[in-house]
Amino acid sequence: MMILIMAWRNIWRNKSRSFVIILSVALGLFAGIMVQALYKGMMRDRIKSLIYTEVGHLQIHENEFKKEYEPSLYLQQLPSLIQQIKQTPQVKAFATRSIAQGMLASTTGSSGIQMNGINPEQENVVSALKNKLIAGSGFQNQKKNQLLIGKKLAKKMKLEVGNKIVLTCTDQEGNMVSGAYRIAGIFQSSNSMWDERNVFVQQDDLNDMLGIAGESHEIVILLHQDELTLTTQQKLQNQFKKLEIETWQELSPETDLMVSAVDITSYIIIGIILFALAFGIINTMLMAILERTREIGMMMALGMNKLQLFSLVLLETTFLTIGGVPIGYSSAWLLSTYLHKYGLNWESMGEEMMRSFGFSTTIYPEFPTDKIAGTIIFVLITAFISCLYPAIKALQLQPVEALRK
Amino acid sequence: MDNTVIDAHNISKIYNKENIPVYAVNNVHLHVEKGEFTALVGPSGSGKTTLLNLIGGLDLPDEGSITINGEDITRMSPNELIDFRLKNIGFVFQSFNLIPVLTAKENVEFIMQLQGIDLGKREQRIHVLFDQIGLSDKLESRPSQLSGGQQQRVAVARALASKPKFILADEPTANLDSQSANNLLDIMYKLNQEEHMTFLFSTHDQRVIDRAKRVITLVDGRIVSDTASQILPA
Ligand SMILES: Nc1ncnc2c1ncn2[C@@H]1O[C@H](COP(=O)(O)OP(=O)(O)O)[C@@H](O)[C@H]1O
Ligand SMILES: [Mg+2]
Repeated sequence: MMILIMAWRNIWRNKSRSFVIILSVALGLFAGIMVQALYKGMMRDRIKSLIYTEVGHLQIHENEFKKEYEPSLYLQQLPSLIQQIKQTPQVKAFATRSIAQGMLASTTGSSGIQMNGINPEQENVVSALKNKLIAGSGFQNQKKNQLLIGKKLAKKMKLEVGNKIVLTCTDQEGNMVSGAYRIAGIFQSSNSMWDERNVFVQQDDLNDMLGIAGESHEIVILLHQDELTLTTQQKLQNQFKKLEIETWQELSPETDLMVSAVDITSYIIIGIILFALAFGIINTMLMAILERTREIGMMMALGMNKLQLFSLVLLETTFLTIGGVPIGYSSAWLLSTYLHKYGLNWESMGEEMMRSFGFSTTIYPEFPTDKIAGTIIFVLITAFISCLYPAIKALQLQPVEALRK
Repeated sequence: MDNTVIDAHNISKIYNKENIPVYAVNNVHLHVEKGEFTALVGPSGSGKTTLLNLIGGLDLPDEGSITINGEDITRMSPNELIDFRLKNIGFVFQSFNLIPVLTAKENVEFIMQLQGIDLGKREQRIHVLFDQIGLSDKLESRPSQLSGGQQQRVAVARALASKPKFILADEPTANLDSQSANNLLDIMYKLNQEEHMTFLFSTHDQRVIDRAKRVITLVDGRIVSDTASQILPA
């Protein structure tokens, strides 16, 4: 009991030193939470853009289609499939697509690409295609053979809106076919690698080339909520056993991988922060002990045992740590909430780099509620471990020598 | 009935064994009985502090044995010694006796808490003790708010708190003016007379020596004289 009072009052003996510890604990916690908030925001943003601008929640293909992109492997029961999708309450929107692997050739060169035959109205809802346009007016309804290409590809092949190019692929019987298209727009998504590999044409145009009028290779489904993904997949799979129905996680395993890689990175960064914090605490507590050598020697001489002395050092560290936690927590909460609303612009950090990893340049950090308890516990454990060395130093003091000082 | 509280037998403490050995305490025999009021005198460096530390179980002798109240403390483990000190020996040091963050009352109460004395008894005893040292009005003062003499009196109260077998005081008046020194000695002497508390204190202050009932003189770690004082203090 008296030890508690002593520990409490000892903290106030050297206010600036105590303040330094409290501040480093606060800073450590703040940095730890902010790193996680940034990563969480980035990952959430990445997943949102993956779902809402790239792959949707679910995609349906014929079983073997994605192996070779064989044009003849279009969806067999398309009308009943569409009927069923329309009747599924979880579905918010869907789009049909035809897909072909092929080549884009211009006067200056050629590039391997994937042609995505789409329906602009559906696509605007399902993948926000319209929002990605950065040049040109996009598909005009009546015109045939229009094409949208990505910014990266346009740059690489020095193409502009209005240029003509030739698309070549094989039709469903295996014959080489090609068609001349005019560039009606240039798009940019948050994933520049994807932009380089993909072009958009209208589905009817592509179907003409492939000789599969009225058919589709792919149906993309957007659901009302992300959480409905698995149950809806199950439900549709039960009805269409032979079709391949994949979730966004299955469609983009690299995103899943990135989420776990980023988790690990954030733990490493937090580890480094805590390491620095540990040094601060060790240093400060050691100074506090050395300054009180005589006092500690006197207490030991009187009969204070090692456990009681250890508790004293531990309690002092605990008070300081607990003092820092609310400051670190609330400042991290304030900043991440502010940035969540107004965004954090990374443009200066290299827009190209961010885009090539599929991240947008404005991050909206998200307070990592689920990881707060863990982070605080880590900070407390670090403080506890850091005070062990100073505490052991105190225990090693010999009363006789300490008193002679 | 055996009244022996301290029985040191042939004890030596040697520093610097590897090079030129220094016998800080050299083959000392010391026998102290209950109720003594004994001064340990000698010039600086004669081994007073070392001898008191050995008797107080703060340090272990290189040779010989020390028996306190029938228990050989030279055979105790470090933890047993801590507990033994806590329960049997009162200490008053030369300076820096009190824990600066605790009030006078808390300084005394702290040691009683370590001794496991319950709250009611503590309160009662604290009032008696502070009454005896004449500082009942300074219970809530921090050490920094007390004079040197007052601090030493609180240290005496603390040493008494556990009702120890004896009190060791290493130059308790060294940093005090003569009036405060006298005052402290008065209190110690009164406790010795009225409660038969045994005191063993070191000093090289002649006025303090004059008030001792027995004077042991150390030179170079050896006892050179051990005399009962002729003039018994009033
Ligand atoms: N830790 C130590 N190491 C080496 N020598 C010591 C140590 N402590 C005391 N001494 C020596 O022991 C002798 C006795 O010292 P001390 O007991 O402090 O004498 P006093 O208290 O009478 O002044 C001195 O010569 C001193 O230098
Ligand atoms: Mg001395």
